[in-house]
Amino acid sequence: MAQTNLEKQINILDYALSSLWRRRMKSLNVLLVFAAVIFLLASFQMVTQALSDKAKQVLVYTPEITVQKMSAGRQEAIPLAYRDKLARIFGIRRVVPRIWGYYFDEVLLANYTVMGMDVEEMPEGSRLDTTLASGRMPTPDEQGRVVIGHSVKKALDLEGRTTFSFFRPDLSLKAFTVSGEFSRDTDILTNDLIVMNLADARDLYAIPAGMVTDLCVYVANPKEIDTIARKISEALPSVRVLTRPQIQKTYQVVFGWRSGFGSICLLSALAAFVILAWDKASGLSPEERREIAILKVLGWETSDILAVRFWESVIVSGLACILGITAAYIHVVYFAASLFRPVLMGWSVLRPDLHLLPRMAAGDILLILAFTVIPYLAATVIPAWRSATVPADSALGG
Amino acid sequence: MIIECKDLTKTYPVESTMVHAVNTVNLSINKGDFLVILGHSGSGKTTLLSLIGGLTAPNSGQVFIDGVENWQQSDRALSTMRNSKIGFIFQFASLIPTLSVMENILLPLSFGQNPAGSRDLALDILDQVGLADKANAFPSQLSGGQQRRVAIARSFINCPDIILADEPTGDLDEETEKDILGLFRRYNEQGTTFVVVTHNSDLAATQKGARVFSMRQGVLSAQGA
Repeated sequence: MAQTNLEKQINILDYALSSLWRRRMKSLNVLLVFAAVIFLLASFQMVTQALSDKAKQVLVYTPEITVQKMSAGRQEAIPLAYRDKLARIFGIRRVVPRIWGYYFDEVLLANYTVMGMDVEEMPEGSRLDTTLASGRMPTPDEQGRVVIGHSVKKALDLEGRTTFSFFRPDLSLKAFTVSGEFSRDTDILTNDLIVMNLADARDLYAIPAGMVTDLCVYVANPKEIDTIARKISEALPSVRVLTRPQIQKTYQVVFGWRSGFGSICLLSALAAFVILAWDKASGLSPEERREIAILKVLGWETSDILAVRFWESVIVSGLACILGITAAYIHVVYFAASLFRPVLMGWSVLRPDLHLLPRMAAGDILLILAFTVIPYLAATVIPAWRSATVPADSALGG
Repeated sequence: MIIECKDLTKTYPVESTMVHAVNTVNLSINKGDFLVILGHSGSGKTTLLSLIGGLTAPNSGQVFIDGVENWQQSDRALSTMRNSKIGFIFQFASLIPTLSVMENILLPLSFGQNPAGSRDLALDILDQVGLADKANAFPSQLSGGQQRRVAIARSFINCPDIILADEPTGDLDEETEKDILGLFRRYNEQGTTFVVVTHNSDLAATQKGARVFSMRQGVLSAQGA
């Protein structure tokens, strides 16, 4: 009774499944190693995408243009008087002075980012007080009030109390009271951030009156950012002008560089796996060669033997993909990509406790499949093809 | 005529010379014939079986099975011919060690019939070779002679027109050998064609009307019935 092609394919699939089961320890080992490689690649891809997305979301709170004074190639304080010069440039909506600095905690060996700004001066839509989980921003008149990021709260152990102190440059202590907390949604920017009013920041860093570190420029038409930045450079030759798109690009470059670095490491691991798979598969054991020869003698076509190998590889790599991508999703969502955080988040002690929402486009999945499944298929089917095309009489012996 | 060999030649390179494993063999076999080819080791008997079965290509000459030349066919047609018309009994047991006896026997049916529906036939043939109780055993649990009998059972599962057997009774004790040769005789009487290569010159005497040939240095010569 002749079989239909479908029945034949079902028989081949059945044989492939039973073949995998017969070599279950070997199959399981390959599956686990393969799944681990895909897990690493998919995790990396998901977390890089999620971080880039997050950065894009929160960069809306950064000023459209930041102006800093430069001297000998280094940043120095900028006179508040520059504010008036900037205000005369057509297209600038508002100029907000800011003191931006870092405070190194010698006990915890952690750096906090300190921002002194009178938030009420910021335009609607860019105001940081919209990112608060609780409390409110300090007003220009309120002394010693701060809003802190999540990791600052944890590091300074501010669960049961609301006050802490930092040293001024002359080693006298300045006390602060927490008046609000940033939302976890903006952790990527606010995790290590302490926001206070301008007067407190000037006091903490002993910055002379009439000086700040940056001038934040908000423009009327965001499409004119580059034009206005050029005008500022022309009007104030000694300043550095940073635009929001440039900062966005910097984030992308940093994540891109870090993910590139990680990808190279992971691709090396992948290459090692493919070489291993090739070595294993091309070194078909005498039993496997004998099996192929017996099958040919019994009437199996070369294409049937390749189909068995193909289905075996598809089953192993398909399962490995499902396992690897699922594990990567769990790793990113439930464990906040803990394996890659040191690489992707930098080396700060106060790493954001991120809640990432992984995004994976069909193209990303196809890319992972292209880098994993195709080499594996080639590494298993080609050696089988080489064995299946030699004369089958080797099984007869004698 | 079910098998016809015309000027069949197969050579192998050995060091710097070419050795004729099969040298200009001409042979015609009718349906229902029982051929016994006698010869020492290295005389070319196994190579001749491989050529007839389409397992290896000749350097020159032709093999026709049912009027169709082996090597003029596609890989698919040649495989189908091997699967449907020929049962092979190898010199060594040639079972797949990770498959059970039943699975090994049903292997040729994977692309011909529904293997599940042929279990009764497989059990019947296993019974005929005296291994009905070993259907679920694995090759490693069988003796060499029992493995040989499983391979013999497998060669009959497709009800082939031709059986090509290489030293089929090599590992068998006297009693089992007698049973297997009896089985051959029964199938031969039903029309199955046998080509058996062996050292055992007594084998021909067990088969009614067997045609006996001898092979030496690749040259085949008839010895008479």
